[in-house]
Amino acid sequence: MPWYLYLALKQLFPTGKRLSFFTAISILGVALGVATLIVTNSVMGGFGYEIRRMIIDTQGDVQIRARGLIDQAEPLIETVSKVPGVLGVTPFAEGVGMLEYGRKPAFPIIQGVDVNRVNDVIPLNRFIRVGSLDELDDDTVILSTQLAYSLGAHLGGKVTISSPLLIERLKNDEVFLPRELTIVGLFEIGHQQLDSNTVLVTLRRMQDLYGLGDAVHGLNVRISEKLDADQMATRINAALPDEPESRARSWLEANTEFLFVLQMEKNLVSILLLFIILVASFSIMSSLLTTVVRKTREIGLLGALGGSSRQIAACFCVQGFLIGLIGTATGLCLGFGFLALRNEILLLFTKLTGSQEALERFYQFSNVPAHMERADLVLIVVGTIVISTLAGIFPAWRASRLKPVEALRNE
Amino acid sequence: MSKPSSAGFQPASEVEQQAGSLRYRLILEASDVHKTYLSGERRLEVLHGVSISVHEGESVSIRGESGSGKSTLLHLLAGLDAPDTGTVKWEGSLDTGAGRRARFLGMVFQSFYLIPELDALGNVLMAARVAGKVGATEKQRAKDLLARVGLAEREHHLPSQLSGGERQRVAVARALMNSPRLILADEPTGNLDEKTGDSIIDLLLGLCAEQQIALVLVTHNAAHATRAGRSVFMRDGLLQ
Repeated sequence: MPWYLYLALKQLFPTGKRLSFFTAISILGVALGVATLIVTNSVMGGFGYEIRRMIIDTQGDVQIRARGLIDQAEPLIETVSKVPGVLGVTPFAEGVGMLEYGRKPAFPIIQGVDVNRVNDVIPLNRFIRVGSLDELDDDTVILSTQLAYSLGAHLGGKVTISSPLLIERLKNDEVFLPRELTIVGLFEIGHQQLDSNTVLVTLRRMQDLYGLGDAVHGLNVRISEKLDADQMATRINAALPDEPESRARSWLEANTEFLFVLQMEKNLVSILLLFIILVASFSIMSSLLTTVVRKTREIGLLGALGGSSRQIAACFCVQGFLIGLIGTATGLCLGFGFLALRNEILLLFTKLTGSQEALERFYQFSNVPAHMERADLVLIVVGTIVISTLAGIFPAWRASRLKPVEALRNE
Repeated sequence: MSKPSSAGFQPASEVEQQAGSLRYRLILEASDVHKTYLSGERRLEVLHGVSISVHEGESVSIRGESGSGKSTLLHLLAGLDAPDTGTVKWEGSLDTGAGRRARFLGMVFQSFYLIPELDALGNVLMAARVAGKVGATEKQRAKDLLARVGLAEREHHLPSQLSGGERQRVAVARALMNSPRLILADEPTGNLDEKTGDSIIDLLLGLCAEQQIALVLVTHNAAHATRAGRSVFMRDGLLQ
């Protein structure tokens, strides 16, 4: 081991002594910065990831909508299914309706799904908590869990559902009776808004409620995981017939602005938090500068022993690097440790502050999601170590400029 | 063994001598060395053309009052500073750079200059580390040297756990670690009591004689100075 590396290690971790106060503070500063970056980046990334996953899980990778209704869905489904890379296509119809259970009204989003094909695109079975999707038919309904909870509805209970068509019919002196449906299941996606305000019915029941006949509002498409959603949307558009006038949009395009805001938010927070690392790097610089002043005579001695200016500089640079390395490793442990316990910590916090309900309402998730992109992790680790090493360069330069004879003259 | 006497202020070429059939190698040669420092706007000439030569195994003491230029001369001899004019040669070579210093030279200072984070053994081995080689042989040599200076039992003690005399013994062992040709000692007893100082001088002179290492000893202490093979006095930047 080169002597400057050996000495750097010994100065940071002296034999038989505790870690020096300056070193401990420097390492702690870097560790806290890294931990904060990891936690924030992961949680923000987690929100973004969950939102992306939810969009895909509830809409598919690509959605096809017509200018109006799609009257003949089957030929279109057949055409789209033939596009290479398409794994599944399912038609849907959706809209707001009035639901009543035991004189308690609600105005949920009603999703009409093709029970035979919906799982090819949207993993509904995965979200069913009670009951079964197989039991969904034209006389039954599946409620989202929080909607059922707020209504006090239970499996086997009956709800009545009516749609805006009721008013349309009344204008023509016709009567459109609400449909009575039996609850055969409860589902939970993990998104507060969807879980508190959605019901699933068969596509046929939705067509009946909205008077659509055989028409649907659109098609959801699942593509192979390895394929790019935008490219597939272009490919599907090329295959779509002129009539009906329809267009395929990837989930990325359909949510461009929202996704842009998410990314911007994450980037801005990361840049702001980077200042913690910068502050920590000043702490490293200050600590190493103090060391240079404290160890002026030793620096002179090293010169007298035959150490070159470059080696003496390396000794201090290595210390900056090691502080960065150890601080980063500690920060990673702290950060990922915190993330592992994030839900417990959040639960404790919300219990103490009585804010659990507000949190769910505003942030849409009952658990704190976490997702760290590998590239972000690499950027944090490499960035921190580079900044810490750079912080050691100025003290190292100062040390290397000390002439041994002047350093020794301090005697 | 008597050493050849050399005129401390003569050019080196004139002082290469033979004693009987033995020819002593010239280890250190300084010729007409001048050194000036700037003190504010004032130029302070510290050395006014000093010449000195030291042969293999020879011990030379330099005495002088404070400010006479002893330490400046020592630093020039060690290659830690460059003379304004004149030359310093190690074994006839003008190369007195850091790369060569590690193996050619050992230094002992008044304030010991031990590295506080390293134990006694680590401090002695530091000289070998800087010279670029630390193996089992070097570790054994460091242990032997510590035993030789009477610190076999204290090799794992930190400098803060050693007395002043013990620290200076560690510094002596460190100076000897790379089997140098020359040891420069700058007031090695300045921070020690008389008895401890005497023992350090005994040790330095004894080990240098034993290993045929040339020694230049800067000291205030007349008794210590006279124990060297040759003694010179420095006054106002000149050797007398």
